[in-house]
This record gives sequence, C-alpha cells and structure tokens, in this order.
Amino acid sequence: MKTGARNHDNPCRPRHFKPPPCGPMPAEGPVKQSLEMSHTRLLLTGVLFALAFLVIGGRLIEVMVLKEGVPKLAQAHVRPNTEASRANIVDRGGILLATTLETSSVYADPKQMADAKVDVKEAARELATALPGINEPELAAKLGSEREFVWIRRQLTPDQQQAVNNLGIPGVLFKVEQRRIYPQGALAGHVIGYAGIDNKGLAGIERGLDDELKTSDDPVELSIDARVQYILEQEVQAQIAAFNARGGMGIIADVNTGEIVAMTSLPEIDPNAPGAINPDDLLNRATLGTYEMGSVFKIFNTAMALDDHVTTMAGGYDATHPIEIGHFTIHDDHAKARWLTVPEIFMYSSNIGSAKMAVDAGTERQEEFLGRLGLLKAPTLELQEIGQPQIPRPWHLINTMTVAFGHGISVSPLQMIIGVSAVVNGGILHRATLLKRKRDFHPAGTRVIAEQTSEDMRRLLRLVVERGTGRFAAAPGYLVGGKTGTAEKVEGKVYAKKELLSSFIGVFPINQPRYVIMVSVDTPHPNAKSYGEATGGWVAAPAVSRIVQRMAPIMGIPPVDEDSPEIRRALLVDFAASPGRKLAAD
Amino acid sequence: MTMLRLSTWVWLSLVGVVGFAMFQVKYQVMQVEDELNRVNRLIDGDRAEMRVLDAEWSFLNRAAWLDDLRRRYLTLAPISGSQIGSLDQIPFRASEQPASAGRTPAASHSRSVTLPGGPALVSVRQGARP
Repeated sequence: MKTGARNHDNPCRPRHFKPPPCGPMPAEGPVKQSLEMSHTRLLLTGVLFALAFLVIGGRLIEVMVLKEGVPKLAQAHVRPNTEASRANIVDRGGILLATTLETSSVYADPKQMADAKVDVKEAARELATALPGINEPELAAKLGSEREFVWIRRQLTPDQQQAVNNLGIPGVLFKVEQRRIYPQGALAGHVIGYAGIDNKGLAGIERGLDDELKTSDDPVELSIDARVQYILEQEVQAQIAAFNARGGMGIIADVNTGEIVAMTSLPEIDPNAPGAINPDDLLNRATLGTYEMGSVFKIFNTAMALDDHVTTMAGGYDATHPIEIGHFTIHDDHAKARWLTVPEIFMYSSNIGSAKMAVDAGTERQEEFLGRLGLLKAPTLELQEIGQPQIPRPWHLINTMTVAFGHGISVSPLQMIIGVSAVVNGGILHRATLLKRKRDFHPAGTRVIAEQTSEDMRRLLRLVVERGTGRFAAAPGYLVGGKTGTAEKVEGKVYAKKELLSSFIGVFPINQPRYVIMVSVDTPHPNAKSYGEATGGWVAAPAVSRIVQRMAPIMGIPPVDEDSPEIRRALLVDFAASPGRKLAAD
Repeated sequence: MTMLRLSTWVWLSLVGVVGFAMFQVKYQVMQVEDELNRVNRLIDGDRAEMRVLDAEWSFLNRAAWLDDLRRRYLTLAPISGSQIGSLDQIPFRASEQPASAGRTPAASHSRSVTLPGGPALVSVRQGARP
C-alpha cells in the first residue's frame, strides 16, 4: 500500500536525512511501531547519559573550582582522641589527678640477636649500665635463651629509652605501652584508687567508675578540691603524729549539695605504686570502715527529740544519778550530777540525759528517725568501698539508750556526714556524691526534719564550741559549731578502755552552714600537752579549727565579727534551767 | 555532516575534560589523604606531648611541694581571718569622709574598732627580707 507522500522518496537519500532505511517504509503496522519505540528509547538513554555527564561535570566543578564543602568535610572527620585507653580524672578546679601516658618498654628477640651474632654477655653488660638495677647475669641468660621474646624492662623513662636506643644492639626492641599516672601522688589516694596494668580499675573511683573511664573521652570531674584535700590530710596527719595514733580519717562536704570536697583515710596510699601498699592501709576508713561513733550521735538524738516535740529547748532531764539497766551502768563522762536542760545535756555531752530523751521518744520512733537520715543502710556513692552499718537486732530498750549516745550502732563516717548535713542545712537530706555538680544546680533532696529543729540544732552546735566540750574547734571569725565524740572501740565482744575513736564533727559558718567537717583519730594516745586526755575535744577539735581557718579564705567565706549583736541574737541559747526545776545541788 | 562533527566533537571534548578532571581529583585526593595522615600523626604526637605536659604541670603544682617551696624561699604565710575585712571597716579621716555618709568622724572611728581579731588589715611579718 503506497501513499502519495511516500512517492517522492528517493531510496538513495542519506540515511540521516530520512531516518528510515532505504527502500519502502512501512507507514503503519507493528514494524513502524517498534521502530518508533526504539527511537524513543534511544533518545531517552541519550538524555540520561547527558544528564549524568552534567551531574558529574557539575560536581567536578564544585569540587575543583568552587571547593565548597571542604571545611565541612574536615569538620566531619575530626581526629578522635584515641591514644588514651582511659579518661583523665580531675579535681573540681581542673587539677589533673589521674592520666594515661605512653611509655616505652624494652624487650629482646634472642633469636634475632643470635642471627646478628651479638655477643650476649657484652650486650647484657651494656644494658645493665643503661638501666641501673638490672641483674646482669640473669639478663645475659635471658638474652642467650632460645625464645623469640623476653622482656628486659617495662615502662622506661624517656632518658632510659634514649640510652638503650643509643646502644644500637640488634634484636633489642621497644614496645609502646600505656601507663596510668597519678601526678598528685598520694593525695586523695583512697578516693582516686588505682587501675591495674590491664586497664582495669581496682580501687576507688578507678573501680567505681571503671566503665565510664573506659568509654568517655572527657575527663571525670570530681567534687574533690585538691587544695582543701591537702589541708585536710595535713591536719589529720598532724593529730595522728601528735597523739601517736594508729590512723585517722576526715571528710569535708558541702551541706547544701552533698558534694564531698575532701576525703581522706590515713595512713595514705600512693596509687602510683599499688604493689607497695600495705593491705591494711587499703581500707578506706571514711567510707568502708564502720565505727561506734560515740557522742557525735547525740546530734541525731537531740534532733529527733526536738523534731518530735518529745522535749523542747527549755525542757530538761535529771542527770543526777547514773542509769542502771540490766548489768549496764550509763554514766556521764563530764558529770554535773544535777538536773540538766536540753542545751546543757548537749553541751556537756550527758549520756544519762540523752538516754532518757531517747526513752521518751521511744524505740520505734528512734529506729524510724535514724532510718530516715540514712543511718541504717549503706549509703550510695561512686565508690564500691562502702561499709554496711551494724545496727541492733533486736532493738531493745537498752539499745535505744546506748544508741542515743552512739554506742551499740556502727556507721561509717560518710553516713555521719550525710546525716549531720541534713540536720544543719534546714532539714533536707541529700545523697553524697564525689562528682562535681553543675554550678547553680541545687538538688531537691528530701525533707527529714523541720526547719525550726534545724535552727535549734545549729544553736546547740554553736553552744558546744562556745562553752561546751568542743572549745578547741573555735576558729576566730568563722563561727564554727560542732560536737565532740569519744567512743571506746570494740575489741571482740568487749569495749577496750584504752582504745578510743576520738572524733569531732564541725559545721561552719554555723549561722548559714556551707561545709561540714568530720575528723576522727583512731586510737590516740594521751600526751603531756593534752593533760592525759585523748577525747574528741582534745584530739580532733583542734584539727577542725585549723582546717576551717585555712580553708575559709580559699573557699571565699568572709570572716564575721562573732560579737556583733545580729550574730549573738541568731545563735542565742537560753541554756540555764528554769528556776522551778533548778536543783539545790547546783 | 557539519552537525555530526560538531556534536561529536563537543561530546568528545567534554569526555576528555571530565576524564582529565577525574584523574586530577583522584590525585588531589591522594595528596590530601597523605597530608591528612601527616597532620593526624602530628596531632597524635602533640596530644601525647600535651598529656605529658599536663601531668608534669599537675606534678609540679602539688600543694605539698608548693608549701615546701613557700616555706623555704618566701616569707609568706596563709592569711588569717583577722586580716580580712570589708571596706566600711576602714576608718576615714575627717577630710576624706564622704559627704554623703552623713556620720561624724567619731562615729566612723568607733566603727573601725569592731574589726574582728585586731585592727591590722594587712599584717607585715617581722624579720622579712629587706
């Protein structure tokens, strides 16, 4: 079938001029259809290719000419800080407490040495000169062995490495290793702890925050202040030396946040040489050790009685005669043998008065109150060395009486710090922490006593330092309040008369508490200067006084005029017994 | 004919240019990677050095060490509470008395006596070095 349009077609015309091949072209039908389809496909493919070229070309221009995205690329591939396998530990001011450094260790390949025909004896002699303290014959034997790897010495100093390198002995090689360094030495040794050679935390924060230290690139910021830590360690050590004591401990904490600013357990340990530590010294007395605390417990007993309205600041108890219960006798160390008001019971540290106060409150109430202050179960902290308190089971009336003055119940100094913080800061209990809190972050905490009770307790604590058993804790200008405690240590099942734990818990400034300080000295021996005394007031209180005077300027706490009328009024206690109750004996 | 040549040449030259550019980029990338490795090695080295310097800085700033140096070479002692006061505890002379203060010189003088612990605001240690 021919049409007119096709008639002028010349079969010999150039192909491109008239696309269909020479010869008659089917105007319709399946053949034409498939031809058109392939034509369209060809065109589409061409367009796609052209587009692809354009895209690649455009991208090349972008990369080569405009150079856009290069800075972004650089930022996206910042070098991760991968050399250290363990994060640093710093104090609250950024002072480095623990870091990981690369050190070289030197080893030998005896086979390679034999191949190089090295004189083993000569090599051992040279190495022994470069590395003093090495056993030369032993080294020569090692170098002459058949093995392929023998350590010569691990973790060299840079000078030693240079010296060995200068020898140029074939087969003596270096291997880079990582080593945990504690630049501040024994400072806060028990808090920081140490890590083993396999990068595993074995004590202290190194153990407690092991996972975090392994994974984090950022340093772990402790709440510890290295300067205050130094002051605390020095002053507790001074008391240990002065009283020829077995050991001691100290904690300083922020009463409003629960941050521990300094914590020590003496004798100290040096984490740089964990192998040299005496196993007995490893015990963190401040957190793991639990002790019968003695009279410092009267802080809780008095707070309980006041908070529960069992008695008032104007109330009192008869402390004329010792209490006989079972085969025990409860008597006063600083006996006044008369009726005592509540402030007097506290300031003269009367066991009789305190026991009667506790009996009035009742056993159940006592147990509930101490539990509320966190004294009956182990506290939480970023350390694993946390002691479990030993509490009376069952809790009889006799226990109620002895617990009132801190016997028959063993708690850790850390628990004391947490509890006393809550008593003085207005009545809010915070959990203790060794990690720095963000500035202006105020943890909510839980209310455990009324604000008025807390204020009364602050007045009583001040009274102890002004006129009671804690006079040596006074620091001019810095309004220290506190309570002494002297406990006879338990030896087996009986109390050892000569073995004391002498403590002082101080709070300052007492009108607006910022820090609570606890100092305890383990088994002090009386000296001539203390007139044969080894009680908390003689042993621990002076240390607290010196610590306050040294740390207050560092912490930016201004001194005040202690005799100004405002302060007098704020801390006034009318401690004299009311006339009706006054006994003839006084 | 000319049409054929033109488009073919355009495409051929484009292919050439793009090919050349590709090689160029590849070599540039290789160079940049070498540079990156070099810089990264430098960064690693510097970081290691910084860690050592940080450790040394901390070591040399040990409180015990500074305390020892202080004792040996300086005639300085920690300040005590009695040496710190506030500005309104400083007595002004009558002529320096700010007019707005509105109190008599005698009153201002009597205030200065209340300074805690003693009158000295700055104490100079006796026997200090000349």
